[in-house]
Amino acid sequence: MAKPRVDFLAILQRLREHDVDFIVVGGVCAILQGAPITTFDLDLVHSRESQNLDRLLAALERLDAHYREPAARGVKPDRSHLSSPDHQLLMTCFGPLDLLGVIGSGDDYPKLLSQSCEMEISNKLKVRVLTLSALIKTKEETGGEKDRAVLPTLRRTLEEKSKI
Amino acid sequence: MGNRQGMTTKHTRKAKPEAVPPSMNRPTHSEDGVDLTLIRWFLTLTPAERLDVLQQTIDSIMKMRGET
Repeated sequence: MAKPRVDFLAILQRLREHDVDFIVVGGVCAILQGAPITTFDLDLVHSRESQNLDRLLAALERLDAHYREPAARGVKPDRSHLSSPDHQLLMTCFGPLDLLGVIGSGDDYPKLLSQSCEMEISNKLKVRVLTLSALIKTKEETGGEKDRAVLPTLRRTLEEKSKI
Repeated sequence: MGNRQGMTTKHTRKAKPEAVPPSMNRPTHSEDGVDLTLIRWFLTLTPAERLDVLQQTIDSIMKMRGET
């Protein structure tokens, strides 16, 4: 199987073409919000509402999405996977995509919606992105070493943003 | 005392203090070691430009690893 060229913008475009409701979280969220960090996957919290799952499944089919865990390679996510609060760690034709049912202390799409903002990230492409303060809060709640490592940069970015 | 041409050396005017670059008025790093200049630069970019920088970063890393 050819190695995919990572293109997060292409993933987001495909999802929006299918009218999928999601919120960008994680590293790409931090970058869009102005934090100079690097990440190698796209983390999204998707709405688990029934019709959105239909749209999401259609988009994932177009993205050739499958589980990236070697033991599960080739297995595609189905409705039961996407309706769970668990994390679906996928590989698409445009790189790694993580679909998260809940993040932080159990925050799902409806709860995170009020803590997100709409952002234009390319010509005519608008996506919902978690606010930087909300992202910091979820990482504080998760408390893993990986999340703690990036917190100083996120916090300083929030401070610098407040001065603009 | 004159110089080689016999001209009298005038009393040297007090040099103007050098203009301090704007960046020097602010700390470059936070107390916990975060590079604030990098943050300030990134905040001058639009979200689209930030995503593009990420894309270019990934591309160059993959190239260095021979994975392109």
